[in-house]
Amino acid sequence: MSAIEWGYGINAPRTMDLDRNDIGPAREILAEMPEWGACIACGGCTATCTAGNLTSFNFRRVHTLVKRGEYAGAWAEMNKCMLCGKCRLVCPRGINTRGVVRLIKRKLGDY
Amino acid sequence: MKKVAVIGGGPAGMQAALSLVQMGLAPVIVECSSALGGKLKDWHQLFPSMTPAHEVLDELTGQIADAGVEVMLHTEVEGVTGQGVTLAGGRKLEADAVVVASGFDIFDARLKEEYGYHIYDNVFTTVDVERMLNKGAVALHDGSAPRRIAFVHCVGSRDEKVNQKHCSKVCCITGVKQAMEMRTLFPEAEIFNFYMDIRMFGPGYEEMYQSAQQDYGINFIRGRVSEASPTIDGRLQIKAEDTLVGRPMKMTVDMLVLLVGMKAGGSNAKFSAALPGGGITLSSSGFVAPVDLFAGNVSSGLEGVFYAGTVSAPKTIGESIDEGAMAALRVAEYLKGRK
Amino acid sequence: MEMTFYSGFVIPFIVGTSVLFAVILYKYVRWMARLPRRDKLLVWRRMFSVATLKGLWECFTECLLHRRIWRVNPLLGYMHTAFALGWFLLIVVGWVETVAYLGWRFVPLQGHIFFDYFTQGMDHGPRWGIDFELIMDILLLYVLSGLALAVFKRFRSRSLGMKRTTRLTLGDRTAMGALWFVFPMRLLAESFPSQLPLWWGYSIALGVFFVAMPFSRYMHIFTEIPLIFLRRWGIRSEAGREKSFDHFQLEACSRCGVCIDPCQLQRDAGFWNVQSAYFIRDRRYNNLTRYVADNCLLCGRCQRSCPVGLELDTLRLGSRWTLSGAPSNGRFNYARGVDLSSGAAGSGDRRVGYFAGCMTLLSPRILRAMERIFDAAGEPVWWADRDGGVCCGRPLKLSGDLDAARDMMRMNTELFRNHCITMLVTSCPICLRVFREDYRLDTGVDGPKIEVLHHSEYFARLIAEGRLTLKEVGSQLFTYHDPCELGRGCGIYDAPREIIAAVGSLVEPTETRSKALCCGSSLANTAINDIAQVRMAQTVGRDFEATGAATLVTACPLCKKALARGTSLPVQDLAEIIEHHLA
Repeated sequence: MSAIEWGYGINAPRTMDLDRNDIGPAREILAEMPEWGACIACGGCTATCTAGNLTSFNFRRVHTLVKRGEYAGAWAEMNKCMLCGKCRLVCPRGINTRGVVRLIKRKLGDY
Repeated sequence: MKKVAVIGGGPAGMQAALSLVQMGLAPVIVECSSALGGKLKDWHQLFPSMTPAHEVLDELTGQIADAGVEVMLHTEVEGVTGQGVTLAGGRKLEADAVVVASGFDIFDARLKEEYGYHIYDNVFTTVDVERMLNKGAVALHDGSAPRRIAFVHCVGSRDEKVNQKHCSKVCCITGVKQAMEMRTLFPEAEIFNFYMDIRMFGPGYEEMYQSAQQDYGINFIRGRVSEASPTIDGRLQIKAEDTLVGRPMKMTVDMLVLLVGMKAGGSNAKFSAALPGGGITLSSSGFVAPVDLFAGNVSSGLEGVFYAGTVSAPKTIGESIDEGAMAALRVAEYLKGRK
Repeated sequence: MEMTFYSGFVIPFIVGTSVLFAVILYKYVRWMARLPRRDKLLVWRRMFSVATLKGLWECFTECLLHRRIWRVNPLLGYMHTAFALGWFLLIVVGWVETVAYLGWRFVPLQGHIFFDYFTQGMDHGPRWGIDFELIMDILLLYVLSGLALAVFKRFRSRSLGMKRTTRLTLGDRTAMGALWFVFPMRLLAESFPSQLPLWWGYSIALGVFFVAMPFSRYMHIFTEIPLIFLRRWGIRSEAGREKSFDHFQLEACSRCGVCIDPCQLQRDAGFWNVQSAYFIRDRRYNNLTRYVADNCLLCGRCQRSCPVGLELDTLRLGSRWTLSGAPSNGRFNYARGVDLSSGAAGSGDRRVGYFAGCMTLLSPRILRAMERIFDAAGEPVWWADRDGGVCCGRPLKLSGDLDAARDMMRMNTELFRNHCITMLVTSCPICLRVFREDYRLDTGVDGPKIEVLHHSEYFARLIAEGRLTLKEVGSQLFTYHDPCELGRGCGIYDAPREIIAAVGSLVEPTETRSKALCCGSSLANTAINDIAQVRMAQTVGRDFEATGAATLVTACPLCKKALARGTSLPVQDLAEIIEHHLA
């Protein structure tokens, strides 16, 4: 997983094909945590992110891609999260962001 | 002549009183502050036409004076029924009907501690800016001109962390208006508006937004500011994600303006049905809940009690004035068949 | 008189007893054998020490008298003592009785238990001047009085001062049903010794109870004994893995339910089946779900009230590691060598370092207050993380990711050492706890000693040393919230109160100090949503509002944010109130 370049491939098609993407795992995550659907993509989480201050991790972007069925690399990206909880404190929609990180890792990863 | 108590002497309350007079009723405006006008007194120019606020205010207060409407200033209301209101100290003001036009409170920006209001010198709210504009003295704390200004949308609106789930409706357009005013005052300054969504719902608003972008050179960045911190040279560093680019960003500004939202009026709780003895119904946001949002939008469901203006939801000044007239009409209908 | 001590009815009893001891022996030997080598050495070394004597005394006070349960709830205490001490004495006195009537001779187990059956026709008058019949009857009545309470509790737990009682497993139901019959059947059989069916009933009840016991919560009757000794010998559960020793803790839980009432998730947020009693039940029977493991604030309130003294938080962390932990695999290498602190290496030389913590970075009032206090005290400070840095690692540890947490710990330790500080002050009790428990900065093991202080302790010291003078700003009434990680976590209760006393007066809420409530937003819980967090904050908030204080003070940036959502009182950090009173 770790070798995957996140979203900046030169030759890979850039179009998200929502006809082909398998939305199943995202639905499962939503079923467990409906509030995840309430994100308005304000980016507050990413702005305050402790890990994002040190590396290219962008929580909002990765979880939004997961929502669209774009899973490649999501687990590896979420693995950069330190779970510090700042994002949950700033989220205006009151989303359990740390829970989202763990759910995505669980559904898309190997633990 | 039948008497109608109007709680609140802002635009909605004043218009309600004027319309009541025209319908042959005797309104009494009960106002807690020292003058009529509500928050309109503090505003500088009104969107989208940039009409000076005092023009609207003077027009309304002038008519109130001409009509000889009875006004009780410095008077707090403690309770509301269809038969009148209880004033501070327990005194009763008997009336045949009541119009609640007690308005809204301004969100206390200190509750969003991470933006540094009342912590750092150069963090202001939109209300502060209106006051500075009125005084003709818009400047940084040390009196100098800002070179870079950032507006933060949705402070105390659409934010569960401060129990303010609702959209305050008028802040977006206020942000656009004030950004344009700043541009006029400080032609050299860079101006940034940080927004989550831009909601331009009124006539001429979208055009104003476009003009702000294109003619006034205001930068709109889609991302919620997460925090502000001081820099060594006394400026402010803000952090946000530029969500349209997908990357976190930080920038240093001289002036941070918080677009504070509308909070349900503090007095609503005093009139609440949840209290012993009953009262009016509040919605989860704390604003009063009318019977419905259509033909019943100024009816409280409690006999003889009607609403006007921002007591029931965030509204513009124009909408509040409309509701004042509407409430007066409903009061007249209600009192028609009664002795 | 020749006695065979045999009758058909004793078979259920004998079978039950044999199964019981075989299973218990199998379990204990297996668990002991699987202890890590280090623990085994501890056992050997401490077995012949005063720790063992202390253990014996604790067995007496806890397994028989149940002193700790008495303290929590006297009625529940009476019930346990009646069963434990009553039954124990029945066995001991019964044995003496056998000797008194039959002399020194071998009597098989059933001979003691069914003494009245086998000695029918014998004169049961007093021997050695002691009326054994009467003593045994009184003891039996004592046990029966406990039983009556137990039955009553099952149906009307509130009357025993417990709002909730635990739900039962099949093994529990079987054992409990049998147990309810044991003593009434004994009473009947001994009253009518010639009625063989009554003896059959008594023996079957005993047999069924004994067979079901090792598979039920009644396993705690025996298991608390080895647990007490092992604990006395210094053996502990670990947050980073499940251990064989954990079994002793899991099976020593009687599911008494004392842990349920203090749980705010149950009380204020309506979550069921996640409390420690249920967590332990699920883990013991291998039914533990991630949801149950994760849905806990780790506030420590249940652990504090547990009459068996189980390490509930550690056991939960161990399970989290098993369920969700993953090797770090260098996934945080991106943060290696990161130094965003205010100064080059060595810039904190022999001075105080300040680690704000992630949460504090979202509370600029605390940061400003800290800056002004350091200034006022003339303390040159190295700011470790004002512009961000690496998380302390506690959040990862709390979610079971201990290996990854250790990476954070190594990186931060390196940062502190690079700047040669001798004291580390933090405003965040979450960071404080991991600095103290896991970093081992003050041991001097892997570098010079660094003393770690919470800012409350640091302020108290500054005031005591006269380095900080505070002025009177009128008498203000404060109330104080003990953060879980600071109070129950690090045992710091007095320093914050001393500081409040220095600037105003303090009124305490109903539940305070080690009983203090959690703000509801604990980082340890990744399962609950915002609504539940706010609900808990509101309940806590009402408690503080009832004190009549003008300001709610706390000492944790996260608690501060959480409480502000639940109360209309202004919420301030200790640092802020000091700043306000700086001369």
